[in-house]
Order: sequence, then structure tokens, then C-alpha cells
Amino acid sequence: MREDLQILRSLPGVVAATVVNAVPLSGGGSSTSVFTEPNEKGRRADMNYFEVDEQGLDTLGVTLIEGRNFDATIVTKPPRNSSFSPSGILVTQDVAKELFPKEPALGKTIYTGTSQPVTILGIIDHMHGSWPGWDKVGNVALFPVIPDETYARYMVRAKPGQRDAMMKQAEEALNKMDNGRVILKVRSLEYIAANTYADDRAMAVYLSVVIALLLGISALGIFGLAAFNVSTRTKQIGTRRAVGARRTDILQYFLAENWLITSLGVVLGCVLALVLGYWLSTAFELPRLKLYYLLLGVVGLWSVSLAAAFRPARRASMVSPAIATRTV
Amino acid sequence: MFEMTQVTKAYRTDLLETHALREFSLKVDKGEFVAVTGPSGSGKTTFLNVAGLLETFDSGSYRLDGEDVSKLDDDARSRVRNHKIGFIFQSFNLIPDLNVFDNVDVPLRYRRMPAAERRERINSALDLVGLSSRLSHLPSQLSGGQQQRVAIARALAGDPALLLADEPTGNLDSLMARQVMDLLEQINGMGATIVMVTHDPELARRAHRNVQVIDGQITDYKPYEPHSTPASVTVLHPTAADATYG
Repeated sequence: MREDLQILRSLPGVVAATVVNAVPLSGGGSSTSVFTEPNEKGRRADMNYFEVDEQGLDTLGVTLIEGRNFDATIVTKPPRNSSFSPSGILVTQDVAKELFPKEPALGKTIYTGTSQPVTILGIIDHMHGSWPGWDKVGNVALFPVIPDETYARYMVRAKPGQRDAMMKQAEEALNKMDNGRVILKVRSLEYIAANTYADDRAMAVYLSVVIALLLGISALGIFGLAAFNVSTRTKQIGTRRAVGARRTDILQYFLAENWLITSLGVVLGCVLALVLGYWLSTAFELPRLKLYYLLLGVVGLWSVSLAAAFRPARRASMVSPAIATRTV
Repeated sequence: MFEMTQVTKAYRTDLLETHALREFSLKVDKGEFVAVTGPSGSGKTTFLNVAGLLETFDSGSYRLDGEDVSKLDDDARSRVRNHKIGFIFQSFNLIPDLNVFDNVDVPLRYRRMPAAERRERINSALDLVGLSSRLSHLPSQLSGGQQQRVAIARALAGDPALLLADEPTGNLDSLMARQVMDLLEQINGMGATIVMVTHDPELARRAHRNVQVIDGQITDYKPYEPHSTPASVTVLHPTAADATYG
């Protein structure tokens, strides 16, 4: 494994490389719980951990904001099926705050489920773990451990713009070193993340299409209503023009009228959204509806209604004042 | 006060050109009450539209209250209509969703007048037409004569230089028509200049002066002579007088 890493790190397009037990955002990984006191006492944090070597931090491209990285001397390969825990680990700020909300976490000792002490060697700014859907996706720790697996998974960071070429070179170099090995997959993190988010993306696209259709139907409805209002009030518009309304007055009048009708619907919609959101959050423990979504919706609907009503309103403004004197 | 000189107006389609007004000249002095009569299609309504700046004309000139209004743009014409002209329409043209007070308020709002002044003018105009007790009534709750009186109040509230009345009694029964004419005479007596388009010779007789329009031209024109009421009416085409006028 060390030889493999040496070969990978010697490739010209490589910034850093590490062995790793799981890949962030891949949907697969390991988790554990740590405590501020032995025997599962004190504050608790659940976290997703990655077993990496001294280049893990650079390979993952995350930033250490406090403390220090592992050095090669503390990276160990524990015997299989042992309850071994590393002596020091790196944790994200999310984990640090969960364990020590009111004091610095750096240098503190925490305890595993089997009460083995572990020191927090450094704090990572921010990192996503293996499961994007987990509400604690930011609770991540790096363990200075070479995974004891029957196969090895390497993670390599390439220099900017050289990723694809480097992927090919890495595969060739590893095959050259040991012709008998089987390389299952060579994938970019971008590809893995895209796969993981594929369902979410599909759902987002589906919902966007539904929203666009609903907005389109609403816009058509508003257009139809505004056009109807204009066509049934031609004489009235002519009269308003005759007694002194300018074209812009008529335009404003119909846009304002449409805005009022839309606002009535918007207010009703907001109330329903808040009530439904509250019910969903209590009945299904879903997150509360964020208010800025409502505000964005209100502004969006106002804009759509304005755009939809503009043409009929403009048509109204073009009505001749001479209509007022027509008796038919 | 009001002077149209050699005004022409034609309506054009791809195939047809209809001359609605031909070298139409008319002068109306301040305080005059002029009736414009003529058979259907003679150009009365076109004259009213041009006089009220509701339509433009092709050539000639038009001065209203000392201002040349021949070449004004659309916004300026709206301003002149709002400040200087009061309209009384045959079918009243009240806005059905607005009550009496708000209907009279419509032109004043377009004048951006302060609310207190508007209120004062509306109350005073409705007092004049005898409808100050019906402020919150909708047009549908009023008789035809009352609706026309609201329309007259709307026309008067802005204190216009000229009142243009288009068949003001055309949709009223004889009793209500008489009341409306009495009101117009009363308003004229207070100094208002009124030009009324009508097909009814009886009503025309109550004006100071009659002007008859046939084929877009004035066929009988007499300058205004103060204190000459009631006016003498000369009907040049007696048979046309019995026809349906518009």
C-alpha cells in the first residue's frame, strides 16, 4: 500500500494522495459516536469518520483552522477486528461545537464508545461526509489510520486541469507495478457526487417543471382575467380617458387592480403554506418552511402577474376616449 | 372662448374615405348655450368628439379658452379635457362599481387634487344637482334622471370652461328630460358655456342659439347675440327633422 502511494505521489500531475476507507458524498462510509466523558457520558457527537494517512487532509482539500495535521509517525495500521482507536484525530467545527459548545475543543480528550481516550489534534473548517441526506453531514472526523481491508481504495488530488489525464496515468502506473492486480474503478469525485445527487437533481428538475407549469397556468389565468376585465370595460375606460385620464393612468389602474387581486391570492397562499408547513414539520418532523422562500414566492408571483397583466393593461391604455360618446 | 376654424376630419379605410367634418367653423362665446342639431350621420358626434378633444382632426385650427389645442399630444389633450371640459353623455357613462361620490371624484383624482378640496367640490356639485343625500348610492340604485344629474355633477366638479353635452336627455323620459334641461339652463345661468348636441328640436329651442350640421358642414349659423333667448331655430330640411337623428 505504501509503495502504491509512493508511485501515485510521484506522478507529475498529483498534488497529494492517500489511502481511504470511504469516499465523501458517495453514500457509503462509517460512523461512530464520541463522548466528552468515559463510559458514554457527557456530551455526545455522532460523526462520520474517514481513515486516511498524513496526506488525507491535502487530498481532501479541506482547511485546518486550528491545531496540526497528522504526521506519518502516528498513522497506524491496526490489526483486523481489534477495538483499536487512534490516539489523536481531526474533527470538523461542527463536531467540535457539538462536543464543546462553550470552550475550545482543540487538545481536548474525548472518548469512544469503549471509553478509549482520543485527543483532538486539529479542527477542520468544514467538510461534507458520506451521506448528503444526513442532517449531520458536516459532522466529520479524520482518523490517522490505514484501513485494514482486503483491498485498497486510494484518493488522489490532481493539479488543476490535469485530473482526467492523471486518472489514466495513475491506473497505468499501478498496473505496471503489479500486473496481477484488479483495478475495479477509477472515478472522479465529481462523478461520484453527481451520482449521489442524481435523484435529488431529478426531483429538483421535476419540481421545477411542475412549478414552471403552475406559474405558466397562473400567468395565463391572470392574462385571461385582465383581458376579460379590459374587454368588458371598454366604455368605462373611454369615459375615464374622456374625463382626463392619461394613457399611463389607465395602464397603472389595470396593473394596480391586477396587483390587488394577485396579492389577495398571495396572502391566502402564504397563510396556507405556513399552516401546511407547520403541520408537516410537526407531523413528519420535516424542517420548518423558511420564510425567505415565502418572500421569494411572493416577489416571484407579483412579477409573473405584472408581466401577465401588462399586455391587456397596455391594450386598455390604447382605448380611444371617443368610445365614451358611442351609444352602442 | 371656443373657436373652430376650417376644421376638417375624414375617416379612412382601405376602400373608403368619409368626410365627417368639412371646413367646419364655429365660434362660441363665454356663457353661451349652443345647440348643435342635424340628422343622423351629419357629423354631430364627430364635431362633439373634436370639440371635446376626444379625437384629432386633419386640418384647421381650434382654440379653447385662449389656448390653441390643435396640435397637442395625447397627454396634453388629456390635461385639457380634465381641466377645461366637462362631458355629459347620452348614456350617463357612470362607473357602475363606484358610488355617487366616487363617480364625481373620478376627474378630480386625475387632476391630483388634494382630498379636502375634492370633497368640497364634490359636495358642492352634488348639492347643485340636488343629490347630496345620495352620496353612497351606486348608479344602479338611481333613476335615469338621477344618474344624468350625477354625470352633470361630475362634469361641473372640475369647474370646466366648457360643458359638452351629447344628447343629454336621449335616454330619459319627458319629465326627467325636462328636469335635466332645467338644470342645464340653471347652470348656464350661472355662467357656464354649454354646447349641446341633440336631435330634439324642442330641446334645441331652449338654447341661446342653434347650429345645424348637415354633411359635416354648418348650414345655418348665426353669431351669438346676448339676451336673444329663446333661440329661433331654422330647420333647413324639415323632413330630416322627423327622421332618427344621431
